[in-house]
Amino acid sequence: MSDPEEDLELEALQRQLDDAFETTRPRIGFEDELWTRMQARRPAGTRLRDAWLGLIQGIREVPAVPMAAVAAVLVVIIGAGIVTFSGVHFGGGSTSATSGLSAGQYAPQASGAFGRLPSPVLAPGLTPKAANGVSQPSTTSPGADYGGPVALTWTGKLVLNFSIAPVFRYQEPSTNTADQFATSLGAILVSRPTGYMGSYETTNFNIRVRGTVQSPAHEPTFTILPITSVGSIDAAGGPADVALVFLAERSLAPTWQYTSEAVVSGDLTKVKLLRQFGVSGYGYAYLVDGTGEPYGLEVDLTSNNRPTEAIGPLPLSLDAASYPIISADQAVRSALASSPPGASSASTPAVALTSAELVYSLVVAGDHSFYEPAILFSGSFTVNGTTYVKRVLVPAVDPSQRTS
Amino acid sequence: MVADRPVFEDLYRAYLGRIYAYVRAQVTSSADAEDITAQVFMNAYQAYARFEARNTTPAAWLFRIARNATLDHFRAHGRRERLRRTIEHQPVADMDPSGVAEERIQYRALLEHVAGLPERQRDAISLRHSGLSFEEVGVLLKCSEDAAKMLYHRACKALKEAVAMEGV
Repeated sequence: MSDPEEDLELEALQRQLDDAFETTRPRIGFEDELWTRMQARRPAGTRLRDAWLGLIQGIREVPAVPMAAVAAVLVVIIGAGIVTFSGVHFGGGSTSATSGLSAGQYAPQASGAFGRLPSPVLAPGLTPKAANGVSQPSTTSPGADYGGPVALTWTGKLVLNFSIAPVFRYQEPSTNTADQFATSLGAILVSRPTGYMGSYETTNFNIRVRGTVQSPAHEPTFTILPITSVGSIDAAGGPADVALVFLAERSLAPTWQYTSEAVVSGDLTKVKLLRQFGVSGYGYAYLVDGTGEPYGLEVDLTSNNRPTEAIGPLPLSLDAASYPIISADQAVRSALASSPPGASSASTPAVALTSAELVYSLVVAGDHSFYEPAILFSGSFTVNGTTYVKRVLVPAVDPSQRTS
Repeated sequence: MVADRPVFEDLYRAYLGRIYAYVRAQVTSSADAEDITAQVFMNAYQAYARFEARNTTPAAWLFRIARNATLDHFRAHGRRERLRRTIEHQPVADMDPSGVAEERIQYRALLEHVAGLPERQRDAISLRHSGLSFEEVGVLLKCSEDAAKMLYHRACKALKEAVAMEGV
């Protein structure tokens, strides 16, 4: 064999080795699991000391600000630190939970690091599923969609006590990512159906993984269906705990913050783990879909607590960058300006927007997609005896940081 | 200077995948690789206060810990049994469905061949393709940079021959 040929073979082998080492990674969830174990084994004093050093370093990196503001931040952060290290967790009551790290799981970037952002919008023509606001997810019957023009007014109260909020970004996963996810569940690739990154199977269930959907915007998801050989699950606390046991046994329990709700329909109970993003100075904001409804991960249970289907976001790593946000007044003006010009006439229904809250909305943008903050206004009104709900989504990121 | 050291969590997030891949190339099951990787970062976490960035790179420091943990694993679990299985290509006892599926992933067979190489050759390939420079590989294997290059090239040739025999 000639030397050049052997050199080429060696080069090809080295490339294969590069690929082999780059694509060999631990199963999904291992990174956060191990980090949590490591944190749990640290002495409390060490954790407190590190938090204090991190705080001092963080303050050193911040541009000059009034000392009063620094003092206020110190009070808030030290208070949060005490709560954190005492083992107490904030949340929206008994249904709020997280099974992993919240802020720490994101790779932080510099302010505005993602450049100018596309704006989130509600998907036109989609019907909101509930006639009340999103701050209290509800199981009430769906509201009707009203397609005509309305004249908007604002009668609620909106306070935004913060000037920046994080934007989160993920990279569109490859089929390799989907394969690794399925492998971590013990599944084997069967095919790659149109519209899906892969279809996989185990002896107990099939899995389909889908990439980002452009319209209505939806992040990459996994669907487990049908689940045939999983028996009833015993769990104290109700359907949400049953769903979590099922998910945890497969390393699928959310690592993000969520609240849970259960919707009963006949013999079927749909458990929804509604995803939230933490915003400093605000709390947790729901991720909403194209209709303004909170969403996240869903597990269907039969009446005897047997899981039959699960669908949720593919676990992906997120980058985070902070962006300046608009004021409450700007948000209200933008919401009211969403009425088409000349909408007011004698026959135009008057709609009073009565509530508003910070939410997160997915914006699809090619190779990368964003979870962006927005203000969701809502109000209900009645026309000819039918009650409708009107929702207006206003991008929260300052217009100077948006492409449109 | 303490300020020269990255925050440990940054180090952890940046290197977990590479350390796992390095370990996975040495052992026969993903479960063992997870256990050893966990031990690596537990050890690193405890020792991080003593890490000095001016003396070594974070990568070289972590891979030294990983190499030691892997060697400890072999000592504890019996290298002879591992070699026997590698030579005879017998299925490992703890192979579970997820392990079977993993075997189907591209490059798995190639890494098995890496695992079958003599220890120093295996290390040279694993460390080099985990992103270390030849200088760093030499430091870890206690030889010069040039010797590390020679060792690596000999390892590649041995691997190529092993692959050719198996038709991977």
